[in-house]
Amino acid sequence: MSTEILANGRTYIHRTSAHCETGVTSALFCDKGFDISEPMIFGIGSGIFFGHLPFVKWAGLPISTFRSLPGLVFKKAAKRLGAKVVRKHFRNPQKGMDELRRVIRTGQIVAVTTNVYWLSYFPRRYRFNFNGHNLIVLYETENGFRVSDPALREYTLDCSTHDMERARFARGPMEARGLMYYPLSVNPNPDMRKACITGMLDSCKQMLKIPIPLFGVKGIRYLAKKIIKWPDKLGNVEACRQLAHVVRFQEEMGTGGAGFRYMFAAFLQEASELFESSELNGLSNEMTAIGDIWREFAVVSARIIKQKGQAEETFAKAGGLMMICAGREEQLFKDLNNVVRKLKA
Amino acid sequence: MELEDEIFNDGLPKAYYKHDDNGQYVLETDAPWAEKVSCALIISGNRANLEEIRKAVLAGQKSPIYYYMEMRQLTSGMLAKAAGIAVFRVKRHFRPEIFAKLKPSVLNRYTNALRVTLEELKTVPNI
Repeated sequence: MSTEILANGRTYIHRTSAHCETGVTSALFCDKGFDISEPMIFGIGSGIFFGHLPFVKWAGLPISTFRSLPGLVFKKAAKRLGAKVVRKHFRNPQKGMDELRRVIRTGQIVAVTTNVYWLSYFPRRYRFNFNGHNLIVLYETENGFRVSDPALREYTLDCSTHDMERARFARGPMEARGLMYYPLSVNPNPDMRKACITGMLDSCKQMLKIPIPLFGVKGIRYLAKKIIKWPDKLGNVEACRQLAHVVRFQEEMGTGGAGFRYMFAAFLQEASELFESSELNGLSNEMTAIGDIWREFAVVSARIIKQKGQAEETFAKAGGLMMICAGREEQLFKDLNNVVRKLKA
Repeated sequence: MELEDEIFNDGLPKAYYKHDDNGQYVLETDAPWAEKVSCALIISGNRANLEEIRKAVLAGQKSPIYYYMEMRQLTSGMLAKAAGIAVFRVKRHFRPEIFAKLKPSVLNRYTNALRVTLEELKTVPNI
């Protein structure tokens, strides 16, 4: 743990989290005196999702996402927990930087959305053009800013002004346009039970009810079928590249291991304690099991990539594992829906 | 040492959720093996691609802008937006003979967008 003194003399404690946005949101709320864990934010903000977007290309490869759109978790969590927030986009970089400076001078920590590529403190392996990385700016230093990046382990870091401006106003798909956000006030005693129920129901809706076959459980099936066909359609080298891309999305932009499945399981675990419901605990274990299958999918895919598709692990097996995930997740969210409807706020 | 170990030993670690023996979730820093492999494949692919482009530039088939665009992992559309130049013009500037005739004002836009110096932009590293 490392602590920092903010501009108005308050202390800020850096806490590591597995994912940038939920970590940032939890840190912002903790800073306002409302202690909430990262998985709780993830659950209340309905972060769990699946989407495969073949028409949105990223370095020439289609996007498959394992969580909801960047920014949504914060928005939803803040609404459901009754927090007043400020979210601002800027057209003019200079105005954006000035506003950021003005706010952090008052001692308020601010979360900004950045492009990972231009953050020079970030490990090289994660630096690619992705306009959705969130971090917290603590205060101004001589030639830059002191930032706390919850996605990295136990450090607060320096980031130069140049880097910051470049990262905040990078162009490309899903432009952040200098998005900065912070809570003005947080309700110290929100109705956690109600927030959790809303979050869980919304998650079920996202995973089951979107009538487009690219999202939710249907999206997983769609991608699984595509993966099975890849080696015939694209040839082995290209198929491996595409598969690596999917795995990278799952392992890296997800919280590692199994997309966001483990984190959602952690949320269900906390929720089961809150509601004293054994059913939720059972669902949490089931979610962990699903996460394990996702991880197995990743391992099988990695073996395919390593062997360049020659030995016993095949694309059909990888796709099959994904199909199993889809089936089990569908069942899980249906059960969750039924369980949540019985709970009392 | 293999590429995946090399790239994962560099820089700060990330945290991952893990189920511990008591059934509670804890954070740990070991990157899963699958992530390392897929990350290494993408990065080695990018590096090989970049190397090929560097050779093409040296052979006079592409302009250095193309190399630096690839180095910054941009596409022509993204570069066009960042530099404030129409996509078709950006694509035209990939041709060496047209690149050679560019005005400094246009080159400046590229240097800002790609964050390289003007001297760098005119050549590619020749190893």
